[in-house]
Amino acid sequence: MVDWSILWQAPNGKTLLEALLLTFQIAAISWVLSLIFGIGVGLLREAPIATLRVVGTVHVEIFRNIPLLVQLFFVYFIFPRILPASAKHVLFDYGWEIVASIITLSLYSSAKIAELVKSGFNTIGAGLRMAAASSGLTWWQSQRHIFLNLLLRTIAPGLASEFVTIFKGSSLAMAVGVAETTYVTRQLGTETFQWLPVNVYASAVYLFCAWGIAGVMLLVEKRIAIPGRIGE
Amino acid sequence: MQEYLSMLSALLRYNVTLTLLAVAMALPIACACAFGRLSRIRWIAIAMRVYVNTLRSMPLVMVMFWIYMIVPMISGRSLSAYWSALIALTCFEVAYFTEIVRSGVQSISSNQFAAALATGLSRFQAARYVIIPQALQRMLPALLTQSLIAFQDSTISSIIGVPEMLQETTIINAREQAPVHYYALLALTFLVICYGTSRIVRHMESRIGAYPRKS
Repeated sequence: MVDWSILWQAPNGKTLLEALLLTFQIAAISWVLSLIFGIGVGLLREAPIATLRVVGTVHVEIFRNIPLLVQLFFVYFIFPRILPASAKHVLFDYGWEIVASIITLSLYSSAKIAELVKSGFNTIGAGLRMAAASSGLTWWQSQRHIFLNLLLRTIAPGLASEFVTIFKGSSLAMAVGVAETTYVTRQLGTETFQWLPVNVYASAVYLFCAWGIAGVMLLVEKRIAIPGRIGE
Repeated sequence: MQEYLSMLSALLRYNVTLTLLAVAMALPIACACAFGRLSRIRWIAIAMRVYVNTLRSMPLVMVMFWIYMIVPMISGRSLSAYWSALIALTCFEVAYFTEIVRSGVQSISSNQFAAALATGLSRFQAARYVIIPQALQRMLPALLTQSLIAFQDSTISSIIGVPEMLQETTIINAREQAPVHYYALLALTFLVICYGTSRIVRHMESRIGAYPRKS
């Protein structure tokens, strides 16, 4: 007998809502961090110093070529061993499994965003870079005043799909015991054997959020599109 | 050493077979779906679009849970974790491959299709003998990259209990209590395999890029 009411019955409704908020929280923090890391690493790969470029490339290759779940276990088990005791204390109070998930998602996505940044630079072209250099701007000034703006507008479509990926990826946090949507719906299913309502609910959360993110990003892309570029 | 060997054997027996079987099954289905997506019959095109969009918006682990639940409901027999993972990964990759094949097919000039029809081939033959061979060559790098992602995603099957490499590592670590050692080996193994393969793909990409291409 399929009983949909288990989704809103007394304790479950609140638990699911809290889990949803946690899913949003993990995704939102990871978005911000991965954008910052990603652009940072992307700029490193364009830096005028060879060592920095190598560091950027190594970062990208490491985090792109190891499965997200393996990275999560790696961070979860190994980071606490290298952290100082005081930092450990703070992190464990907050919930180490949540922090580990956020760190992993951010690093994993930063590699892909760095790749986007690189292809964004290729799209913008070498001509503009030379023009910036010949106008007397330093490397940093030209990045800051010219490229960053153009870059963000160029890679906006890629960022949109990366944001969806991060949102979906947050479901893997269940593997280390974070009580986000997938984890809590699993638990509810095991307790009640109402797998259909539980699966429908969890899928609906991911579908609507993915479509929502895609829709919002499409509006943003239209607003910030660079005029005159093909495909607009 | 003994432990690493059993980790590697889990990799070969589960991750590698899952990936190869899923890719081998998904590719022909995706070719059909791509043509369905480009079909002139509207409801087929819409159905394919809905399938692709839905699967691409869901986490793989959710797809695995669905298969784990639905297939026994239909067939009346329970499904092993391995088969659930395999079916889920296949369904998942069909969605991604369909988009790759579709864009590959669309990159072939429509004149090719018209010319093929003019020589007396049927629409199916034109697709099978003229369009797909050319499109496949062009989209090979993208397909291989996606297959590498499928290989990485095969670790997610550990969540539903497939004893693949990540699961094996967790079991060994529970016994030996040396996480740095075993998880580093696990990560390194994937890094070497995926990095190596991605270099080959990139080399291939540059070779294909060298062919004269229709703009």
